[in-house]
Amino acid sequence: MPAGRYVTAALCASVVLLPAASAPAAPRAATVKIAFLQGEQVVYVDRPGSTVAAAVRGLLAGPTTSEKAQEIKSQLPARTPLRRVSVRGRVATIDLGIKFASGSSADSLTARVAQLVLTATRVPNVHSVRLLVKGGTPLGLFPGIIATVPLTAKSVTAPPKSPPPAPAPQQPKPPSAATRALQQRLADLGFLQPGEVDGRPGPRTTSAVVAFQKWAGLGRDGVAGPATRAALNSASRPSPIRPGAGRRVEVLLDRQLALFIDGARVTRVLDVSTGKPGYDTPVGAWKVFRKEVRSWSVPYKVWLPWASYFVGGVAFHEYPDVPPTAASHGCVRVPRWDARWLYTQTPVGTLVTVIARSR
Amino acid sequence: MKALAAAAMIAALALPATAATPPTKKPGVLKVALAMPSAGFQVGIVRGRTVILARGLEIDLATQVAKRLGLRVSFLNEATFSKLVKSGPNDWDLAIAQISVTPGRARRVDFSTPYLEADQGVLVRPGVTPTPRSIAALRKLVVCAQRGTTGGAIVTNRIKPARKPLFLDDLSVLLYDLFAKRCDALVFDAPTLAVLRRQAPDRYGPLVGRIPTHERYAIAFEKGSLLRARVDTALRAIAGDGTLARLRQRWLGSDTAKLPVLR
Repeated sequence: MPAGRYVTAALCASVVLLPAASAPAAPRAATVKIAFLQGEQVVYVDRPGSTVAAAVRGLLAGPTTSEKAQEIKSQLPARTPLRRVSVRGRVATIDLGIKFASGSSADSLTARVAQLVLTATRVPNVHSVRLLVKGGTPLGLFPGIIATVPLTAKSVTAPPKSPPPAPAPQQPKPPSAATRALQQRLADLGFLQPGEVDGRPGPRTTSAVVAFQKWAGLGRDGVAGPATRAALNSASRPSPIRPGAGRRVEVLLDRQLALFIDGARVTRVLDVSTGKPGYDTPVGAWKVFRKEVRSWSVPYKVWLPWASYFVGGVAFHEYPDVPPTAASHGCVRVPRWDARWLYTQTPVGTLVTVIARSR
Repeated sequence: MKALAAAAMIAALALPATAATPPTKKPGVLKVALAMPSAGFQVGIVRGRTVILARGLEIDLATQVAKRLGLRVSFLNEATFSKLVKSGPNDWDLAIAQISVTPGRARRVDFSTPYLEADQGVLVRPGVTPTPRSIAALRKLVVCAQRGTTGGAIVTNRIKPARKPLFLDDLSVLLYDLFAKRCDALVFDAPTLAVLRRQAPDRYGPLVGRIPTHERYAIAFEKGSLLRARVDTALRAIAGDGTLARLRQRWLGSDTAKLPVLR
């Protein structure tokens, strides 16, 4: 750790242009932190500079090619003009071109304001941002953001007061022998937990059928029709795509599945939904580095219960909606009933391999 | 009143020149007062009362009205809504800002013919099956509404749900609960729901219908405005030729007037 600090200080010293005497905090101020997005979270990258203007310019310039390769992105529209920046007291006034307010997606509009405010308030002695567009105060252009007062980092990051929601209990359906047989077969192949074989149809069974259909390349409707049943009868337990040792996870982007692996055996196949086009889940070998039982997505303003982050802001997390296709901002959505189990199975350090093509 | 209207009519008939130049405060310009923001209806950028940019259903509607009267449109923004419905005089010609017609307001200002029926809408969460198509079907769901609103009253008095409804003060929390499946169906102003759904379509299920409350939005004028009759003619033309339906579709994402009535 101390070694790293020396390296940073040395690097900074080579960038500082002003004489040290005029800027007492120069070594730390020589880089600015730019708030970009990866998955469901803000990630910071360094750029040379020490002022709000430098930070905003760095933000407007967007991520570099190598950052983009890691699916680091920005919701600021390309070529947004910077009209004026000034700092008075601890308030930075940032005046941007009309392009900053283009588009109609609430997700994108709120995320770009969060990026701007978090970037500017990372500059020392800047506490809040007065946002101007084309020289005026934006009213209602950014859903949920009241720009008539200066925006603090807290105003764009704080989760709502209500806790993450507890789902309404489902009325269990009566058990049947046919469902039990289907569940048993799914459990034998690793698509259901053995303890989930109860004969009662429900979302868990549907999700397991979808997972099997994804694996077998069938239509993803969750209904065990003749084609699915035939494929189930002749199927064998999936095997890992990549060789490896120990407990690890493979995320298959083409099939929208997560394989939980112990040694050479796939212990569980999970129905997941990864990043939609333009928000692709980054391909590569990553390790779980942060776990949060109650995670809040700062840019997109949504709860992510049972989150296990494995690269930047990209995590496995529970989500109310796990459609059969890729739909997320880059994260790996997991159904509610499997989220907690997944959380316990992926301690910090767990290898997560994201694979684009598994066939 | 009647005599005045008759006199105005005679004047209009006798002097075709005045028919070509509508009686605005500044000749050739229709000065429109707004009370931004309201998502979908009017949002923009202001410096004081000066409007740098404005867009939304009501902006397009006012622009259409001006165009049909042969006028240039200019907007100004009042910081407080109440200024739009106080008794005149004003330095603007008309005000548009989802102003509901009420008897109290009608004593202070004149209203145009309504341009939108703001009924209550029902927005369901993603994945509700079967889609509720009636009050009876809603009764079986967890229904939610903002406390103290028209929607709340409808839940209690009309829907009378069999399961405990959810009443909260904060609309944003309600929307989150809907998204997170803590509530199945939200009852709120239909146009607002339409806009919210359009901004984040993957967070919500469909807008399944409306429950009529006969609330109407109209343009407000100073008492005795000579402009009102001309604007009414323009509004009727805008409604008649499909322009208004197209604007609703564009800005609200669905024509809320065409939503099925839930019975």
